[in-house]
Amino acid sequence: MAQTAAAEDPALRERFERDVLPMLPSLYAAALRMTRNPADAEDVVQDTYLRAYRGFAGFQEGTNLKAWLYRILTNSYINTYRKKQREPQTVEGPDDIDEWYLYDRLGGRNVELSAETEVLDRIPDEAVKHALESLPENFRLPVLLADVEGFSYKEIAEIMETPIGTVMSRLHRGRKALQKALWDTAKERGLVDDDDA
Amino acid sequence: MTTPDCGPNCEETLREIESFLDGELDVVVQQQISVHLSDCNPCMERAEFRRHVKVMVRAKCTGDAVPPALEQRIRALLEEPPAVS
Repeated sequence: MAQTAAAEDPALRERFERDVLPMLPSLYAAALRMTRNPADAEDVVQDTYLRAYRGFAGFQEGTNLKAWLYRILTNSYINTYRKKQREPQTVEGPDDIDEWYLYDRLGGRNVELSAETEVLDRIPDEAVKHALESLPENFRLPVLLADVEGFSYKEIAEIMETPIGTVMSRLHRGRKALQKALWDTAKERGLVDDDDA
Repeated sequence: MTTPDCGPNCEETLREIESFLDGELDVVVQQQISVHLSDCNPCMERAEFRRHVKVMVRAKCTGDAVPPALEQRIRALLEEPPAVS
């Protein structure tokens, strides 16, 4: 069957409006975390919607729409935006950071768990976003897709076109790097004592 | 070592804690770790802390306001004449 553009088919267009337009806030937020600036995020999201709309006839209803859209978003980011950026591809991970980096610093003080987590809650939204955005891309994307968007390892592997083992390893290392970034931002803001730096 | 001393399953539990919190372990292992956590306060505290980090990151990394102009441009896409395919 020849691929029909959504614009040619009123029912398809209606379904696109119903199912895909409401995803705009989450796609835009994800694009911001990817590109780290609003102008590029807008370009990536607009390109994503254009590609999704043109390809919507090929999307099988009932399958994973969110994963399909994030795969287009990720491709759009990688293909169109990253080429301009020349961001170095970090292969080395933050291997010197312990898996319990943040817990040991916040929790090794005989305080209640509620006090530890309260410190985290007091970090402003913008600072947490900045901490995530500070991660090298290879680590930022899996953390974004897993922890913010809630995708499974298998879905992330498909979205990033990366083997699942690579996803798990980058996610693990990305989360360690994020712990350090969160600690650094908490320290900068005076939310914790800087007595073990 | 920072691993708390509360039985033979602590090390394995903490090694798998990320996959556990991500719900990625097979059902049997997922259940075994749940049981261990309910019996082991130090591991439970670590697990709850990591869960809290995940929840906090998710809550704080969303909610960016979509620029109205972007939404308008995307809605305009739907009004365009049929794409050549």
